[in-house]
Amino acid sequence: MILGLLWALIAGSLISLQNIFNSKVSERAGNWATTTLVLGMGFLASLTIGLLFEGIDMFSLQNMKPWYWFSGIIGVGVVTCLMQGIRLLGPTYAISIVLTSQLGFALLWDSLGWLGLAKVPFTLKQLMGVLVIVGGIFVFKLGGRRGENRVFSKIT
Amino acid sequence: MRGILFAVLGGACITLQGVANSRISQDIGTWQTATITQLTGFVVSFLLMIFIWDGKWQRFKKVKPLYLTGGSLGAIIIFSNVTAIQRIGVTLTISALLIAQLSITILIENKGWFGTAKQKMRLPQFIGIGMMITGVVILGF
Repeated sequence: MILGLLWALIAGSLISLQNIFNSKVSERAGNWATTTLVLGMGFLASLTIGLLFEGIDMFSLQNMKPWYWFSGIIGVGVVTCLMQGIRLLGPTYAISIVLTSQLGFALLWDSLGWLGLAKVPFTLKQLMGVLVIVGGIFVFKLGGRRGENRVFSKIT
Repeated sequence: MRGILFAVLGGACITLQGVANSRISQDIGTWQTATITQLTGFVVSFLLMIFIWDGKWQRFKKVKPLYLTGGSLGAIIIFSNVTAIQRIGVTLTISALLIAQLSITILIENKGWFGTAKQKMRLPQFIGIGMMITGVVILGF
């Protein structure tokens, strides 16, 4: 449990750092050039680390299913939706809704156990927890800080 | 209304990405997953970049080199995210992840690190993070 939380905290911290770096890039180069660079860098880094740890086993993909090749396109959907959402709603409201939606779908996913993930039954406790977190997100976001219009600076 | 729809869909896609990565990792391994999904994402956004041409990629030269390397963190982000989801489920993972994400962002902005516009952390941000941590405690224990 604690170890799992620790991994999630590492991911969140690095996402924050990455968003700040990305916002610096997108100020100059625009959202799509930035996304392209970010994913290209991520690809090279993953390939390098994978080769270091697993060597030639990196390329043994026997259990590969066709849709695995396309799942990376979801990331492009993320950037598109965030760009449009922020354009139409402004960053504060758009990102509050994005974060809430992230949690809502997480809850849905856990309780349905789709895609062969372990099912986490939906309970009142879970609903309470998520509602308190969503409340926290809105207090955080609507509590008055400067906003900008860049996708990457406002994903956080 | 359309804006809300995009925002909801965006959030759904972020969660779906983590879930799909966890699923794919079970079959082919986590580093393989990170490599393949970012490669296909790269190819598609490259095509979009050419097609839409919203930015001028020559302008990369004007960006500090450190900031250009941010994308490589994606490898560790995907690995950590997948490992967390497999251990504690999607809801708890996303909750803890968001707390770290918002906390580190205000820490960096509070100090004005990495050329961010310095902003003071205000009471609502403390309360917000406090509520989020309370929520995770409710979820987890």
